[in-house]
Amino acid sequence: MATTTSKQNVRRAKRGGLEKQNIKILYLFLVPAVVLTFIFAYLPMFSNYIAFLDYDFNKGWFGFGSEFVGFDNFAKFLTDDKFYKLIGRTLLYSITMMVATFPAPLIFALLLNELRGDRFKKVVQTTSYIPHFVSWVTVAGLFYMFLTVDPTGIINNIRQMFDPAAERISYMQDAKNFLPVLVISEMWKETGWGTILYLAALTSIDPQQYEAAQVDGASRWQRLIYITLPGLVPTMCILLIFSLSGLLATNFDQVFNLQNKMIRMETDTIGVYTYYQGLVSGQYSYSAAVGLFQGVISFILIMATNYTTKRLSNVGII
Amino acid sequence: MTTIASNRIKRTAGERSFDIFNMLIMIAWSVAAIYPFWYILVMSFNTGADAAAGPIWFFPRVFTLENYMFVFQYDRLHSAFIVTALRCVIGPVLSVIVCMLAAFALSKRFLPGRKALLFFFMIPMFIGGTIISNYVVMSKLDLINNFLVYVLPGAFGFFTMVIMRTHIEELPAELQESAFIDGAGYFRIFVQIIFPLCMPVIAAFAFFAVVGNWLDYYTNLIYVTDRSLSTLQFVLYEIINRAEANTMIDFTKTSGAAARRLMAQKNNTVPTPEVIKMTVMVVVTFPLLFVYPFFQKYFVKGMLTGAVKA
Repeated sequence: MATTTSKQNVRRAKRGGLEKQNIKILYLFLVPAVVLTFIFAYLPMFSNYIAFLDYDFNKGWFGFGSEFVGFDNFAKFLTDDKFYKLIGRTLLYSITMMVATFPAPLIFALLLNELRGDRFKKVVQTTSYIPHFVSWVTVAGLFYMFLTVDPTGIINNIRQMFDPAAERISYMQDAKNFLPVLVISEMWKETGWGTILYLAALTSIDPQQYEAAQVDGASRWQRLIYITLPGLVPTMCILLIFSLSGLLATNFDQVFNLQNKMIRMETDTIGVYTYYQGLVSGQYSYSAAVGLFQGVISFILIMATNYTTKRLSNVGII
Repeated sequence: MTTIASNRIKRTAGERSFDIFNMLIMIAWSVAAIYPFWYILVMSFNTGADAAAGPIWFFPRVFTLENYMFVFQYDRLHSAFIVTALRCVIGPVLSVIVCMLAAFALSKRFLPGRKALLFFFMIPMFIGGTIISNYVVMSKLDLINNFLVYVLPGAFGFFTMVIMRTHIEELPAELQESAFIDGAGYFRIFVQIIFPLCMPVIAAFAFFAVVGNWLDYYTNLIYVTDRSLSTLQFVLYEIINRAEANTMIDFTKTSGAAARRLMAQKNNTVPTPEVIKMTVMVVVTFPLLFVYPFFQKYFVKGMLTGAVKA
């Protein structure tokens, strides 16, 4: 029997042929997915409009009975100085995070690829994934422990090993350390995991290219620049689109957990602020407006990035 | 690539020093990835008083199991473990069923309205609710302080479904056709042919779902205030960030705990909040770290099918 290719299968499936009978049950198969998507994706999407209300939580479904106030909530935050500080900080955090953490998996994958000995490579890969499998709660716990003045503060212990007179510093109590902590924790947690896609892309580069280049006398460095990197461009573009689209949506989990009471006011990002204003202080409509504002900008960003990368390299996710 | 490496006869000094440098970086990275876990393990086996006395690096200085005795008696951790275990089973099972059913139906390209349905599923990837609008919907649906909030909202994943569909489409069409000739309906084909053949993909996604459920604390933070429905990550959060570790040490609700505390005081092995935190971290974190190497094969494959599609 000849093996069928996937193309033939797709053609067959389009035709349907024999199977094209009693297809009603197929719609039944789709019911759970449709219902869940409607309830948990579309309903929240629609109820974004409480941003235009003075929402009273105790009144009916989706704010029936609450007063319509138009753009008042938006005006409220757009005229608030604090809000620009918040946006500025969110942008600063996310741009720094992106610039610092985006290249890390790429570099790590390239170094891993140059490593001699498959066994060793495998071990490094396996261990580098491990931090991905812990929660931000644990990561925050680890960072607090290592950066504290207490005897568990390894960083202070190391400093004192070199200079016994050194004063022990409580790093996490100082807002100016927050950004470095975000960057380092993100790198520690996700760099290894982020290499998976790059490593996959690396294996799909034709080995003959390397052989040919070697015959022509290309050095290891030249092969990296002229063969490996261009081969990784599509993967890089896709990952870039994803990270740019999340530019305003700094990781809630991460910021929320790494903050503490002492530095919270100076380290809030839009996401965390929305949480505190909305769910902790009960200003639902105002918070919803802030969230919606952020959502719209993110949407514009993802579309713009997608358009640009599509123009430049023919890669896009839509 | 290995052939290239072995073909090379001479390596320049520069290349050799790069190789050594590279190896050192990689070793350093691996150590940095693992050491924190080793450290909390060490601390969890050390007595609190001794840990507070000075730095510990690689091994417990004064070994004790007392910390674990205390932690395991904390009843909130018991209920959190049950809740987490339940969501780690129910969540993935539900998700696989919902996604596979949809994937199978959408793999039939002759299905009228297929494009519209795909569009319907895709839109939420770009436009969504905010934290507040989600909260409003959940509360109107009576999902606040309801176990279902852990498993229902995440049950359908668009990407998961697309990858499963691709996998189903790549199975030989003859299998389904011959089953049809033999009189099998769609349901039978789905259960007896498609499902077993998709096992590798299902395993990969089930594992992702287990990891996601185990690590999630956001859902708990936002939608659940009922302490009996707390998850492990949330209990850990409270122990790390609030005075919870202290209350754990002085809890006197159970008589066994009081007796144990007296005993610990006598032996000078009373846990401190610090070591309690680390012990709970070990208890909450290590189960996943232990299963992870066994699944590595699957999830790398799963990631890759996902990547190729994206």
